[in-house]
Order: sequence, then structure tokens, then C-alpha cells
Amino acid sequence: MPYIVSVIFNILTSGLPCCLLALGIYLTFRILDFADLTAEGSLLIGGSFAIALIKIGVNPFVATLVATLGGGLCGYLTSVFYTKLRIPKILCGIITMTATSSIALLILGLTSKDSSFINIVSLDTDNETVFSLFYYGDPIFRPLIKTGIMLAFVVLIFVIIYFFFGTEYGIAIRSTGINEKMSRAQGINTKQASIVALVISNALIGLAGALICQSNRGCSVGYSTGYLVVGLASIIIGETIFGNKTFKRSLIAISIGAIIYFVIINVAIELGLNGNLLNLLYAVLIVFALSLPLIKRGIIYLVKERREKHA
Amino acid sequence: MLELVNVVKKFNISGNKEDERTALDHISLQVKPGEFITIIGGNGSGKSTTLNIVSGSLTPDSGKVTINGFDITHMPEYKRAGYFGRVFQDPMVGTAANMSVYENLEIAYARGRTHKPWKWGFSASHKKYFIEELKKFGLNLEDRLNQKVGVMSGGQRQALTLLMATMRQMPSERIIKRDYVRFCEGNKSKAKEEVLKGFKDAKEERKQALTALNNESLSKEERKARKVEIRNEYTSKISRFDLTKQILLLDEHTAALDPKTARKVLELTDKAVRDNHMTTLMVTHNMKDALTYGDRLIMFHLGHIILDVSGEKKNKLTVEDLLKMFEDADKKAEQ
Repeated sequence: MPYIVSVIFNILTSGLPCCLLALGIYLTFRILDFADLTAEGSLLIGGSFAIALIKIGVNPFVATLVATLGGGLCGYLTSVFYTKLRIPKILCGIITMTATSSIALLILGLTSKDSSFINIVSLDTDNETVFSLFYYGDPIFRPLIKTGIMLAFVVLIFVIIYFFFGTEYGIAIRSTGINEKMSRAQGINTKQASIVALVISNALIGLAGALICQSNRGCSVGYSTGYLVVGLASIIIGETIFGNKTFKRSLIAISIGAIIYFVIINVAIELGLNGNLLNLLYAVLIVFALSLPLIKRGIIYLVKERREKHA
Repeated sequence: MLELVNVVKKFNISGNKEDERTALDHISLQVKPGEFITIIGGNGSGKSTTLNIVSGSLTPDSGKVTINGFDITHMPEYKRAGYFGRVFQDPMVGTAANMSVYENLEIAYARGRTHKPWKWGFSASHKKYFIEELKKFGLNLEDRLNQKVGVMSGGQRQALTLLMATMRQMPSERIIKRDYVRFCEGNKSKAKEEVLKGFKDAKEERKQALTALNNESLSKEERKARKVEIRNEYTSKISRFDLTKQILLLDEHTAALDPKTARKVLELTDKAVRDNHMTTLMVTHNMKDALTYGDRLIMFHLGHIILDVSGEKKNKLTVEDLLKMFEDADKKAEQ
């Protein structure tokens, strides 16, 4: 297989789960206007559930489903902190995130009898994942199959999200995020709407975690650190390049944004970027993406000026 | 009939006794169906607090709020939204800026019933209805249905909020039944029997009409037309039981607009109220408007109602009279 093809598949297999992650973060960050820091926690819970359950012999699809529900449970916890206990938004997510690192240790501890605290768990070679279940024929096609399955997950979730947010309840959730007072005056149970949105968002992130860990065939406590930034960067890159005029357009923009993010990272590595500088690159990328609208306007202005000079 | 009985509301209760402020001091008020009441009063006199207690944004410390005797004092704001249409002082508050005009109207059209997660939120028949209603406003809003509300002027937003507050879809059968029992005067169990029987009869008649239609030999179009006829008949029979009449709450809704736009929005308000025969409570700072519009005038002062006039007596009042009353009340309070 040519080297460039393997790089492309590498980008897709790391980018596609992050589409789900970015969609999940988008639901809270943009739609509900809730800076939800639970994301990294539910990603960890999703990954650890998937790996631990597969390791003790559960069907990978069931394990993925449980991972999704586990992520949703984290979201529910955060929403209870916010709606019932009235803790400030930003703290709710931090509290849940802190708790999840311990809970992930307990979950990963399920895989061994002697110790309940295990930091890293890798799958054995005979453990099946949602990807390896479909591996047929030559191993050379494996990345292709893996990408296909990930794409299927992303498309499925995309369709579900799109249609859900077009229903009466979906519109109610969107209006809750934009204007809570107006939503209550229009008869929307805004607390319930926030809870539902947070659960859906974190369930998606849990699913993303399950896919990432199964793709890597292992999970470690702490693997999820930094993914919140990846998700936010994907949203910002996608929105600045493709716009957010309609809801459908935003969803597509964000999914593509996640892929673009990994393209940039992979290109940088291929060009010989030192691995230690990766986090610096993340930061630079985000600053660049955030200032894109300004740069866009500057370019338009320059083009206009030149045209006028020539005219 | 909307009724406030001995409502007391204090702010800053947890702090020092000196900081405590009584916004409403044993207020009692009866609003008859179809009445258009204008409310005036100085800053902090309790007029907005009254509206907020009626709509459920605030809960009173004591006293109760009832509709036709049904206690709604502790009903959450979103649950009673079906009985009230609201327009706020700030044009930004009444609409969702980041959504299109059409989406805003769809949200408002579902007010008073649950927003269902399995029902698609947009429909062509609703859209047609919205366009017709917007045309009546004459603000060219019907051409901007897909534009985001955020790009519109304050006046346009306020007009849109007004439409959102005044239009209403016929609620579901379950809600009609529930509200009929809630708001009927007199015996509740008798009312329940009555409404159940009414629904049963209407359904029976519809069934008979449909079977009769099946036996007739008609062309496809005629059959379709007859079916629509039968459905409309059924709806009109059921709507007899639809007792819930919306109450319109306007909280200084023209205060943030320039004089010309304010005039336009006020005229639209008056027209909407007259057309829909809505019970209305309108808070305003403009004494001339308070005298021009409405058929009853209430003046608040430091948490008390100091003036309550209607009919002929209200028509005779002038702005000077009102100003004098304000000054007298202030003097009295100082002593």
C-alpha cells in the first residue's frame, strides 16, 4: 500500500470518531450555550466501559451501547448538578470530570481479579472489536473496513441528530439555549430540555470514546486529556470555513472541521514536526481558527481595494 | 376570570430589615373576561411585579392567584404558559434571536401543549397561516419568514412577539377536557361527565357520518370534500368545550421603541386584542396611552392600588388628573 494512502486512512480513523465528539460538544457549547467540561470525562467513561466489557467477553456492540449510555449518565449527572443543585455551569462539568477519572479506574479494574486499580488496559489479540468483527480477506483492506464502519456510525448519528432537532422538542431545546426566558414564556420546560440536551451530547461523546479506544485496542486513564480542545477546534474550524447559516449546514461543517483538524496535524507530523511541540500546534491552530473571520474580512477588503485601484 | 387575592411580595427578605422592600402589599384584583386594563405607576410601585406573579416568573410570599377559582399560585411558569401570552419591555427577550421568524412562530404555535419529540416541528399548513397573520401587520414580515430574528429592528421584533403572544392553536382533546374541568364554575364531577359525554357524542356522530359516506357512491373529490366537512363539524363541536381564553400580559412593551414605532405597535396591539377578544393587562409609563387604550385603568403606588376606574369615569380622566393623583400620593407617603 502506498505510504500516502496509509496516511489518509490514519487521518480518517482518528478523525471520524472526533466528528461524533465535535457534534456532541457542539450540542452543548453552541446549541445549549453551556460550556460543558464533562466532555473529557464522558469520553474516558465511554472508552473504559467499551474496553473493560470487551475484555471480560461481552459482545463489542453491546459494550459500545453500554459505553454510550455511560457517557449519557455523565451528562445526566452534570445536568442534575446544574438544574437541581443550582451549581454554576462551568463547575458542574469540572466536578463530573474529576469524578470520572476515579470511576474509570474502577471500571478498568473489572478486567482483573487481584487489583481494583489498573491504569492501562489493552485488548488481547483474540478480543473482538466492532471493527474486527467485520475483518474479511486480506489484512490490507482492514483500514478501509474500519473507516467504513466509523463512517456508518457517523452517518447514522448525523441523521438521528438532524431529525431530532427538527422535531417540536428539538426546536424547543434550541430555543432554550438561545433565550431561556422566552422559552419558559412559550411553555417549554427549560430544565428538562437542558437535561435532555446534556444527556444526548455526552452519550455521543461516550460513543466517540468507545470507538477511539476500540480503534486503539486499549484504554488508559488520562487518554482523554486534550480531546475537549480537539472538539472545540473542529467546531470553530468548520464553522469559519463552511458557515453556520442553517442547522444542517452547521452539522456538516463541524463534521468536516474535525477531519480538517486531523489533516493539519498529520501534515505537520509528516513534515517533521517534533512530537513534543504537538500541544503548541494545537494552541496555534485554535488561535488561527478563531481569528479566521477577521483574516477573511481583511482579505476581502484588500481584494476590493486593489480592484478599485485598477478601475 | 383572573383573580389576585391578598398577594404579598417582598424582595431582599434574607438581608437586613432595612434592605427589605415590599413590592406588593396585600393586593387584590379581579379581572373580568374580555377586559382591557391599563396599569400605570412610578418605578418600583409593583406593576411589573404583578404581571410577573400572574405569569409565574415570581411566586408570591402569601396570597393566591386563581383563574375561574382554579389556584395557579404555585404552578410552574412553563405549565401555565398556555393561558398567557406575553410581550416584554426588551425586544430581545420576547424572541429567539438566532432562529428564523418561522421557527419562532412554530415554537409559539405549540404553546399550551407539550412539545413532542416524535412530531416534526414544521408544517406547510402552519406556514400558510403564519403568512396570512403576518400580512395583517403590514410590516412586510411575511417576506422575511426565513430570516433570523436577530437582524430585525426592535419594532419588528416586538410586532413578531405580539403575534406569538396572541395566536393560539386549538389544544389537544386531552387538554380541552382537563381545562374544561379546571375552569368550569360549579360542580367539578358534573362538568367532567358533561365534557366526556360531549366528546363521546361528537365521536359517535363522526363515526356515523363516515359510515354513511362509505355507503354512498361518490366521486373521489366529492368524498374528500365531505370528509373535510365531517372533520370540521367534529372540531366545532369539540371547540365548544375549549374554555381557556388567553390572557395577554404586556410589560411596557413599547418603552424601548421610538415614538413612531411605538404608536404602530400599540395600534397593532389594540387591533389584536379587539379581534381576538382577549383579556389584557398592559403596563405602561405613558399616561396618554393608558387613557386612550383599554376600558379600565389601575394606578399603583408603593405596592398599593390607589386608583381603579373604568367606563365613563375613565373616559373623563385627563393626564393632568393622573399627575395630580401621583403627587398627592407621594405627599401622603412622605407624611
